[in-house]
Amino acid sequence: MERQNGELLVRMVNIHKWFGRVYALRGVDFEVYRGETVGLIGDNGAGKSTLIKILSGYHQADQGEIYFEGQRVRISSPRDARKLGIETVYQEQALAPNLSIARNIFMGREPVRRWGIIDRKVMNEESMKALANLGLRLRSPDLPVVTLSGGERQGVAIARALHFKAKLVILDEPTVALSVKEVEEVLEFVRQLQREGISVIFITHNLYHAYDIAERFVVMARGKKMADVKKKDTSPEELSQLVIKSAFAE
Amino acid sequence: MEWVRNFLRYRAANTFLVFIGLVIFFSLLTPNYLFVDRRNLAALGKLFPDLGVVALGVGVLMICGEFDLSVSSVLPFCSYVFVRLLYRGIAPFWAFWVALGVGALLGLLNGLITVKTKMPSFITTLGTMMFWRGVLYIWSKMMPAGIRNLVPSGSPFERAFAGTVGSFFPVQALWFALFALILGILLHYHRFGNWIYATGDNRDAARAMGINTDLVKTICFMIVGVLCGFSACMQAVRIGSFAATQGIGFELRAIAACVVGGTSLRGGVGSMPGIVLGALTIPILDNGLILLRVPVFGISAFIGIATILFVVLNSYVERKTR
Repeated sequence: MERQNGELLVRMVNIHKWFGRVYALRGVDFEVYRGETVGLIGDNGAGKSTLIKILSGYHQADQGEIYFEGQRVRISSPRDARKLGIETVYQEQALAPNLSIARNIFMGREPVRRWGIIDRKVMNEESMKALANLGLRLRSPDLPVVTLSGGERQGVAIARALHFKAKLVILDEPTVALSVKEVEEVLEFVRQLQREGISVIFITHNLYHAYDIAERFVVMARGKKMADVKKKDTSPEELSQLVIKSAFAE
Repeated sequence: MEWVRNFLRYRAANTFLVFIGLVIFFSLLTPNYLFVDRRNLAALGKLFPDLGVVALGVGVLMICGEFDLSVSSVLPFCSYVFVRLLYRGIAPFWAFWVALGVGALLGLLNGLITVKTKMPSFITTLGTMMFWRGVLYIWSKMMPAGIRNLVPSGSPFERAFAGTVGSFFPVQALWFALFALILGILLHYHRFGNWIYATGDNRDAARAMGINTDLVKTICFMIVGVLCGFSACMQAVRIGSFAATQGIGFELRAIAACVVGGTSLRGGVGSMPGIVLGALTIPILDNGLILLRVPVFGISAFIGIATILFVVLNSYVERKTR
């Protein structure tokens, strides 16, 4: 096995971020181990998304360091993050609805023949293969994404991460606005990522969606990390108490 | 009936049907079947590419989510640059390339202003449209400037831009077809085309996937600029002169052509076959109505109705097929 569990993959140290006069992150430490699934939970405005956007290159930290596989790294664009193997699946921002499934999966990394002409055959076959790996059977790689269900769309975005051999997949509220059946579908996709040994950060404010699949939970509130607990040391009730308490604590 | 349904699912299909309908309508109803008269078709083939070539670029730009209203100023500006260079004794061939370069530069400027200020291009290019028109009016004093003796009829340059192939087929239509082919390949088969669609469809997703959307947009603005430069020279050679009124009204007619061809105003949706059909439909509507003796000044009203009907039709068909 090339990937070994238990070794540190990402370490974010003392991350600070201001948006104008808003002090969004106040010295957060955060780490993810190889093959581990971390549930990042907290109320709206707790700083979860900001932290993750720094890791995926959308924002830059005003202060703090990021280490990836032991190396100090500077992630100044989404492109940098992808080069490291960090793939982010945003709620509604991951896919172009009018483009085909295959064109979405290979967006920005199209397989080409000579002179930049897209190799459609490779693109279509690889897309179907990546989806099948997730257990997702779709009629054709040429369907526009807008014709898919919410769960299937998340599947397409996750298939993309899987295909490009991501080391860390960040799922930003992947279960928001999905039906119960679709949520189960998405959780199954995440389990597939786990089986492949890929680290996952699962951001949600629905504790129960994260509880099934995560091994560790990080609770954030008002720009700070309030708790960092292993699943075996806690319970959903305790976690939800933590979220509520830390949101109201002074 | 499966193939019929597949065909109708294709967005440009209704434009195609309406286009065929219009051709049949005008063929049968114009006095003495003037519409399909050889001379009328030849004239149409000469004239429509002026707008058509520009519309091809505008369509690509719309797919990536931006507009360019400045085409109606960039075009005469390039034309004047071309003519001034000819007056200075520069060979038409080189003057032509400089005009394309100026078009590209003005396109680059549009692109940079739009992506750097993050303003809607409807506003930024409205600004550059007015700016360049003002500059042009002062520079040229709005005087026409003839070039007949500098680009004489029958010279290689004149024949390349205003001649005929095989004594009948207007070369302008071939240029239009060539650009449509190149841009069609770019849009539908090249990776850059996928970036254009992705940028227009969901800019955040495109950015997250590492596509430099600002660069994509700027290049699309430059494509429009170059095509304006091309159209400017082609038109100047055909009419044998620079005219300050060249390109007037092109900005909205080009958008209308693209919309008629199924291009979305919100970006991300459209196709080269559709844009080509749109760029053919508007001039045919023009021409047919003139032949039907509709007063010239009233034709705009029909183009307006047609544009609205097409948008309604397109969104109706879209809802049906989804």
